[in-house]
Amino acid sequence: MFLNRGRFFSLQEDTKRGYVETQVLIIGGGTTGTGIARDLSLRGISCILMDKKDFNAGASGANHGLLHSGARYILKDSETAVECRQESLLLKRLAPQCMEDTGGLFVALPEDDDAYVARFPELCRTCGIVCQPVDAAQVLQMEPCLAPDVKAAFAVQDAVVDPFRLSLDNAADAQTNGARILRNTRVEGFISHKGRVQAARVRDTITNETFQIEALQFVNATGAWADKVAAMAGAHISMMYSKGSLLITQSRINTRVINRLRPAADADILVPGGTVSIIGTTSLEIDNLDDIRPTMDEVDTIIQQGAVMVPELATTRYIRAYAGVRPLVKNGSEKGRTISRNYTLKNHEAEGLHNFVTITGGKLTTYRLMAEKTADIVAQRLKNSSPCETAHLPLPASQKGEWTEPGRSPKAWAARPKDTLICECEMVSESMVDRIVDTLLAEGRAPTLEEVGRRSRIGKGPCQGTFCSFRLAAYLYRTGHLEKKQGVSQVKDFVNERWKGFMPLVRDRELMRLEMQEAFLCGLFHMEVDP
Amino acid sequence: MRPVPYGSGSVTPNPLHTGLVVVGSGMAGMAAAIFAYNRGISFVQVGQASELGFSSGCLDLFSILPGRFPKKFADPFAGIDALKEKRPRHPYSRMTHPMIREAFAEFTGFMGSAGICFHGPEQNGQNTAKNQHIITPAGTLKPTWQVPAAMHGGSLAIARNQRICIVDVKGLKGFGARQMAQTLQPQLSRVSSATIAFPGRETAKDLMCERLAWDLENPEMLGRFITLLKPHADRADVLGLPAILGMYRFEKQRRTLEQALKKPVFEIPTLSPSVTGMRMKEAFLGKMADLGLRHFPVAVSGIVPDKNGFVFSVTQGLQTLEIRADNLVLATGRFLGKGLGVRDEQIKEMLFDLPVTQPETRSGWLCSDFFDPAGHPVNQAGIETDDGFRPLGSTGAVFHPRLYAAGSILAHQDWKREKSGSGIAIASAFKAVSHIAGK
Repeated sequence: MFLNRGRFFSLQEDTKRGYVETQVLIIGGGTTGTGIARDLSLRGISCILMDKKDFNAGASGANHGLLHSGARYILKDSETAVECRQESLLLKRLAPQCMEDTGGLFVALPEDDDAYVARFPELCRTCGIVCQPVDAAQVLQMEPCLAPDVKAAFAVQDAVVDPFRLSLDNAADAQTNGARILRNTRVEGFISHKGRVQAARVRDTITNETFQIEALQFVNATGAWADKVAAMAGAHISMMYSKGSLLITQSRINTRVINRLRPAADADILVPGGTVSIIGTTSLEIDNLDDIRPTMDEVDTIIQQGAVMVPELATTRYIRAYAGVRPLVKNGSEKGRTISRNYTLKNHEAEGLHNFVTITGGKLTTYRLMAEKTADIVAQRLKNSSPCETAHLPLPASQKGEWTEPGRSPKAWAARPKDTLICECEMVSESMVDRIVDTLLAEGRAPTLEEVGRRSRIGKGPCQGTFCSFRLAAYLYRTGHLEKKQGVSQVKDFVNERWKGFMPLVRDRELMRLEMQEAFLCGLFHMEVDP
Repeated sequence: MRPVPYGSGSVTPNPLHTGLVVVGSGMAGMAAAIFAYNRGISFVQVGQASELGFSSGCLDLFSILPGRFPKKFADPFAGIDALKEKRPRHPYSRMTHPMIREAFAEFTGFMGSAGICFHGPEQNGQNTAKNQHIITPAGTLKPTWQVPAAMHGGSLAIARNQRICIVDVKGLKGFGARQMAQTLQPQLSRVSSATIAFPGRETAKDLMCERLAWDLENPEMLGRFITLLKPHADRADVLGLPAILGMYRFEKQRRTLEQALKKPVFEIPTLSPSVTGMRMKEAFLGKMADLGLRHFPVAVSGIVPDKNGFVFSVTQGLQTLEIRADNLVLATGRFLGKGLGVRDEQIKEMLFDLPVTQPETRSGWLCSDFFDPAGHPVNQAGIETDDGFRPLGSTGAVFHPRLYAAGSILAHQDWKREKSGSGIAIASAFKAVSHIAGK
């Protein structure tokens, strides 16, 4: 049961009845969707936020985690550059728990274009972006990992953001203000009448039950899936999908964000975060969103390209590769990296739809602004005149997002060393899992292994889930959160999700880990064969 | 059998001469040592820590023929016939059924004398028998061929669909009785679960199986353990416990338990380190020591083949011993055992640089689904041999007339998917050593 502005209701009971009602249905639980849920609920508008999987299951969870100063976009897209500058300053102040204010560098190597290097400070100034020249000797002292032949460098105000924590904190605050959350719920169609969408037909992907959600306004914040969801409502968006792959190093290589000073290309940003560094990305046009995964070729390209800027990248070990899809909205004949990274907000009025809005594209850095602009349309349509609050109210740190940060669990565990460890690599304990499970139950659903994994560091260490996925399953059974054969399929899903990011890295020593993991999961547990 | 003397001090001027060196101390190495001993071949065994510590303690033969549509075989020999058709270069394709049966009988006979009794499946009719099943910590039923006495009660109870009560111990992570019972429910409707606190360790948060196994060697502790189990035994036909009933006196401890509870008790293998695997290793090493056989738990490299055999040295502490062996059984395993490794994205055999059959490029090693029913192609990489398990060199001819290979290093098998690891190890070691003995 949930307390909502003095009124009791249970989403679970409603879904069982086959019918749920709300003012606004937000589809898509990425940073934009959770941001919209918070924005609307702060304006006193009731909403349901649903995702076919989980928070940040798409591009919001598969990016660099870079809070752009804006300097990367000064050449091609000054509008985005200015927005990034404004929003990053705002977020550093309002959501410090999600940020690491590392600062950033732009560095040029001998083969990089001198003309661009020369124009860089001026272009930054035009967009109001702070940019300090740093001499070559000094930059090597600041970041000893850099190639010794750096010919020019500038310091900028880049920072690092934990996108999981950001979404979880936004969702938690939305919930505090009355928003409801449905994970593992997929939209399968809309019921429309005379230019108004009346309800969404949705399916619970765990129980396979279907029900309807009736709303006054619908928000499509489904990222790369925006065209498909819009099409179900009879609206049209022309999109392109650009896959970007990234690699996580086993230890942290750099202190600040390091950008290559050249027009955007492959593997030219190295972002530190907690105890690791992330190098990326690639940009590969794809047509199919069904199986997004990094390939061995992409991994090789990233390592080769990245090592030009940071030589250590050629020899270091990598923990994991991952890939996300940038949703790019086509306007004309542009391609790949030349398409604007700015966001697209469509009210669909021209298509005769009056209560459906789509927001897609854009940057993680500008998610709040995107949410604000979207919520403005929705609020105006609902005749709600409350102003947006997210540009001045701090984002409260929540229990939902507390265990996503690398290095946090070991510290917490050291304070309570009697707590049984479930994940020995990342030191995640039973009591931490309990707290995560509590937040999942508060959303009205039983936890799955993947969901607990996404909210913690479980499975993200060297064993990549071989042992901890099992211990976690055993624990969730023991505490009554898993029933029947759920555990077997959830462990398989968990392992396969980790495998996606490990497989393209398999080169030599990794074969030992594979052998060990397979000996347990297949040789002993016989899991590959449905019993 | 002449015990091999230790070299004293530095390098011995005259190398020690032996009939055979077994390189590797996993399942295949252990089997080769047993077969050599039984045939009166003088031998030394070398090899660092083996993977036996991870073993379930059961001996698999064959169960699944992997492929896009994998085939399950209740009768492993029927499966092996199908396998031979599909994979003529699979190690089993170089063996006859009687040879495999004989190898198992000899291996289990020796292990029985070392204190580990194996139970084969019940024979029904003429030489047809079905795989038995064990309960795994995941709550799955795994098919296997020979089950140690400690686990056999479980296999019988599964076959008879008896009321099994699985009991776990508070603080023993990765062994969840409720998980197993819930997962088994659809197949074994009469399984239940219970939890007890280990005597003297009631508040412990992180227990190790090995530690508990040592605790239960103590009769007083075993008595307290029995008292806790009593109420659960009363409502079941059979009691299933994590494999913690002693490291050495496990047979006696289990019988004591069964007499006191008046119910059969069986053990379930645990996640690593597994007591059942350690027992097998300990029993084998103990027996080797009793028989005065030489085992060097060190890695060797730089083995030089010449026309009469192989020369190498082993260093233990300050002592270095030079050894000449007439024959060599390569039982070094795969990547974990360091029998195979990778150089420049090519899979290599690490001791003699034997040619390795493998996918053309690294991109062909793996499937995008970890659990792909066909298995990862890299798992079938390995070395080629003739019918007597002598590795082939780059010309396609036998690399060295006295070099043999056994176990998981062999190409064209995927033991983890086929559930054939022990069987391949035992059968190939049997044929290789028989060949040596027949010379």
